[in-house]
Amino acid sequence: MEGIGAPLMSSKSVSLIKVPILDSSNIGRIQPNSLVRFRGMVQDMFGNELYVGAFKDGSTWRTNKFTDVASFPMSSSTETRIWERRLLYCVPVPGQSPWVVQSSDSASSSETVINRCGNWTPQHGEKRRREDDMSVDQMDLNVCPILLFIREDGLPCQASQSQESVIGGTSPIQSMVPDFDTKSLPCLVKIYDSPESELKLNDVFEFVGVFTFDPELMVHEDGSDEFSSGLCEDTLVHLPPNKVPRLHCFIHRKLAVHDFLVGSPVNEPMPNLVRGIRESLLRYLTAVLGNDGVAAQCVLLHLLSQVHARVDAIAVGKLSLNLTGFSRESVSVFGNQLNIAIQSLLPFTQSMPLTVENLNTASLAPKKDYQTNRLLAGTLQLAEGTHLTLDETQLNAGILNSTGIENVRLLKNLMDLQKVEYDFEYYKLEMSSDVQLLILSEGKSNILPADLVLPFQPSVVASSVNADGDSLQAWRWYLATLRSLPHVIDTELQKVIEDDLVAARQEDRSLGSNDFSSGYLELFRWLTMARLMSASFGETSLSLEHWQMVKELERLRKERVK
Amino acid sequence: MHLGPLGVFDCSTTIGIDSYICRAGQIEQDVANRKIRSVQIDLEDLFNYKDLDEEFLRRVTENTRRYLGIFADAIDELIPEPTEAFLDDDHDILMTQRAEDGTENADVSDPYQRMPKEIKRFYEVYIKASSKDQPFTIREVKASYIGQLVRISGIITRCSDVKPLMQVAVYTCEECGFEIYQEVTARVFMPLFECPSDRCKTNNAKGNLILQLRASKFLKFQEAKIQELSEHVPKGHIPRTMTVHLRGELTRTVAPGDVVEISGIFLPIPYTGFRAMRAGLVADTYLEAMSVTHFKKKYEEYKLGGDEEEQIARLAEDGDIYNKLAQSLAPEIFGHEDVKKALLLLLVGAPHRQLKDGMKIRGDLHICLMGDPGVAKSQLLKHIINVAPRGVYTTGKGSSGVGLTAAVMKDSVTNEMVLEGGALVLADMGICAIDEFDKMDDSDRTAIHEVMEQQTVSIAKAGITTSLNARTAVLAAANPAWGRYDLRRTPAENINLPPALLSRFDLLWLILDRADMDSDLEMARHVVYVHQNKESPALGFAPLDPSVLRAYISTARKICPHVPKELEEYIASVYSSIRQDEAKSSAPHSYTTIRTLLSIIRLSTALARLRFSEVLAQSDVDEALRLMQMSKFSLYSEDRQKSGLDAISDIYSILRDEAARMNKMDVSYAHALNWISRKGYSEAQLKECLEEYAALNVWQIHPNTFDIRFIDA
Repeated sequence: MEGIGAPLMSSKSVSLIKVPILDSSNIGRIQPNSLVRFRGMVQDMFGNELYVGAFKDGSTWRTNKFTDVASFPMSSSTETRIWERRLLYCVPVPGQSPWVVQSSDSASSSETVINRCGNWTPQHGEKRRREDDMSVDQMDLNVCPILLFIREDGLPCQASQSQESVIGGTSPIQSMVPDFDTKSLPCLVKIYDSPESELKLNDVFEFVGVFTFDPELMVHEDGSDEFSSGLCEDTLVHLPPNKVPRLHCFIHRKLAVHDFLVGSPVNEPMPNLVRGIRESLLRYLTAVLGNDGVAAQCVLLHLLSQVHARVDAIAVGKLSLNLTGFSRESVSVFGNQLNIAIQSLLPFTQSMPLTVENLNTASLAPKKDYQTNRLLAGTLQLAEGTHLTLDETQLNAGILNSTGIENVRLLKNLMDLQKVEYDFEYYKLEMSSDVQLLILSEGKSNILPADLVLPFQPSVVASSVNADGDSLQAWRWYLATLRSLPHVIDTELQKVIEDDLVAARQEDRSLGSNDFSSGYLELFRWLTMARLMSASFGETSLSLEHWQMVKELERLRKERVK
Repeated sequence: MHLGPLGVFDCSTTIGIDSYICRAGQIEQDVANRKIRSVQIDLEDLFNYKDLDEEFLRRVTENTRRYLGIFADAIDELIPEPTEAFLDDDHDILMTQRAEDGTENADVSDPYQRMPKEIKRFYEVYIKASSKDQPFTIREVKASYIGQLVRISGIITRCSDVKPLMQVAVYTCEECGFEIYQEVTARVFMPLFECPSDRCKTNNAKGNLILQLRASKFLKFQEAKIQELSEHVPKGHIPRTMTVHLRGELTRTVAPGDVVEISGIFLPIPYTGFRAMRAGLVADTYLEAMSVTHFKKKYEEYKLGGDEEEQIARLAEDGDIYNKLAQSLAPEIFGHEDVKKALLLLLVGAPHRQLKDGMKIRGDLHICLMGDPGVAKSQLLKHIINVAPRGVYTTGKGSSGVGLTAAVMKDSVTNEMVLEGGALVLADMGICAIDEFDKMDDSDRTAIHEVMEQQTVSIAKAGITTSLNARTAVLAAANPAWGRYDLRRTPAENINLPPALLSRFDLLWLILDRADMDSDLEMARHVVYVHQNKESPALGFAPLDPSVLRAYISTARKICPHVPKELEEYIASVYSSIRQDEAKSSAPHSYTTIRTLLSIIRLSTALARLRFSEVLAQSDVDEALRLMQMSKFSLYSEDRQKSGLDAISDIYSILRDEAARMNKMDVSYAHALNWISRKGYSEAQLKECLEEYAALNVWQIHPNTFDIRFIDA
């Protein structure tokens, strides 16, 4: 393994780019037992699978590593060693923006795929026949993915049951093609020899390995059910290989946001350049927000926020934002614009309208289903760095049932602690998350108290604001790179800040403010904003100028709140 | 010596097994008399037995399944004749018949015609893993453990019904009439169709076999899923599960939700049929249970590990254990030392007392934390629940139909009325933390009166009248009436709980978010530090591990301190003085009743327990009083500000009053400290006061002992 892994790792930038990325569009074209890449989030972990790792075939040792079936027949009497591998159920990252998919498509050189596709002829005849039925003229193999969609949509009656009959008759490889869920392709990744701590739930990874598909296994998968009465069922029965592809992983690497960008415009964060990008992005956000400059500043800081550390119960670095003053009408204008803007800037975004019905029925927290032994993904099972917009303007008065209360509690916990409780029925397991939360509401949201509350005051109803591709690229790079900058505060400035904080506390009290937000957290927020402000200029240490800017911003905000 | 099918073992070990088993003569007899159906062999016991060495033990652990057979064979040989007659059942009749037949066809060469030993046995043999080491978590059981005896802990998530599992299938042949036996080792087997007996073979008769269900031997069989406990799951991972097979007497010992420790053999499932084709590649595994132990998570049954006992002894010698333990509660929550001390006492509690006339006096301490929002009340509550071995966290409003107490429900399947316990009943012998206590439903609030004093929950609904135990310490958190404590109003207005409920709390702790330059600066420093270094500033002490804390508390809870004669007087005088103070005050902050007296005793007893002392000391009582005073400290400091007295002059007036009351000119330093700390002042303030007034020649201070002598005016 080390022999294969090391060279792959070292030259990954050069050679890996040629390895096709397995996704829903090319799954039908990639030949089994070829090297592929898969990018996805670890959604569930199935535990270990034991397999005969090595066995003696005559006098030589053979291995079954990286395969589903033995390449050589083994008799039961041979000497064997049982090894284990870990099974991870991976899905495409929830809320992936369309531009991410595009760029990853263009990044994977498609030549290799097509070449392989050409070699892989057994399905040719069958395909052509179907194409004729559908009276689709194109015969080019390049349109495979399109055809797949048509076949699925065009023949809805051919449900999965009838697929089984096809399996028996014709070459089973064909049957696997239409069965894959073409919208989001999950993948069962088998991990060998890597420490358990390396791969965690909800992490986004790129796996490089062998894509396997063995038609023989599939046929037997269905028959085995009758023996396994009650509990003994295999988790994998629910994930037949014709629905979920298998990937035997050689190497894996954790992906950060900037791995999803195509080429960076700048390699070094040059101060001038960063300043320029910041200005243009701020202008864009101001335009999107109807000329509300303060809101644009807050949104910029919010978009740069990230959980840097967890100290005690506090997630340091998060900055959730609550834009108030929206009505149903203005949400449809500005809310949508903002959503589209955020979607074009960040790789993973989700938005959710908060309605009583939604809260009462949605399953936000992931839940373990003991019937199938799987973790059912909830809406809040999100990858690190996902942006989540909650639209509270849709909320009417109504009664929450117990699910609703639970869901509100979950959202509140996510907001306060950046933690989501996963429901394992007998106990709950807290998982840390890192989600940027933006709330649009009419008044200050009391259900979901955000770190930063700002009344939104647009002055112009802007017609749709468009940004050209190049500047979008630059902004994406800007947001992805700057948010992870290190940060220090000098001792001198530390003193100034401490004094300012104490003064603010005293003043706050003497005013007899009825603001219930805890003072401690308020101080935290100030420092977080200071950090984000200096990061937005691409700087790694806080300067007095930026601290003043934060205070000024805070003053403007306070004025509006009154 | 009978070696059975395993010639590979040397005689000495097998003799060892025999003599080991011989030792347990009574069990043998019981087995023979069919009084007990299982023989459990404890590996630890086996190890202590003289003839057996470590090597043998290792072999048993690594090849447990074969040794099960060897042990069973050994028991078979040694089993005495039954001394008691038992009713003949079908099985016995069949057996006698078989024995008679057995002499007739002596050709036992055919394995199908030889009667398997299992069919004669009335017992099962289990080998229990040694309980010395820590049990494994499920993820620690790796491929290398296949075939070995392992001990794992976890929670049962699913259980199947108990089903019969064929152990020996018995057929009769239509042609030759012979009984044919087939041993079944897997869950699935291929029935025989052709008679394999010699007679049929030679006659080429292809005798038809008929399965005899009554003659076959079945085992009870149950399947369960065990899942890792939440504390064993590494961060960012999902709990693993494992299938457990329970056979015979072990069935029905577990139910979903049970936290158990199971020792068993980790085995692969042999594949059959189509699956055999890929069997070489992927193997499912299961644990064949050998013994099931339920976890007891009560203090009373808390078992100390070897090194824990030592550690506790070392801690007990340390003079500062009280502070150390208190600091280790929720170490990440900044400040609140005295609240933590009170919570520590809540964990320790006082012993329950039952008087001769049947009256019970509770020992559990109840504490209510009331305070401004954002003073970490909820975090404290949650932390305490984590430390307590049995704790339930709930909110006053959040509980469902069952509520806090108990509810009568109609079972949807059987249509019977069933009682379902609420949070308080579930926390019996533990701690029940109730957040948002002020927002509780009225029905629950009335029931809580009973829980807090009588420690029972009475139900008279739908034809069920009963009373459930709820011996729980209540830890409540509440917000003041208007969300925030309003100093312009009286305490009674702020605390919107009825006095009847309030008097049941041993301590009502007011935590106010007061303006204070020092604490603000300290907080600002903390915040900046956290941002700078991404970690909390060093605590200045090493907090004790929650497990050590738990062990210490459980040891402390075993002690039952009593009040010595000489202290009775002291407590009584203290109580009466509190009552008098209150009568004098125009706006009392507290409402002192006879319950307060009990509270003082309870708190002091808990303090004595912490010292591992059987006798209460005066220092315990003083500390208890100090805590009671400190619980309202936030209020007093406001009072003082209003009255215009600064701390120094207030301390002076306290000392002067006390000295006058006792009619003495000399006051020892210890006494002085005692008095002022009861009023909520620190030692530093006392020293300052001493120096200041000594300079004014009001008193003289002894240079070494700091004792005070008033100068006659």
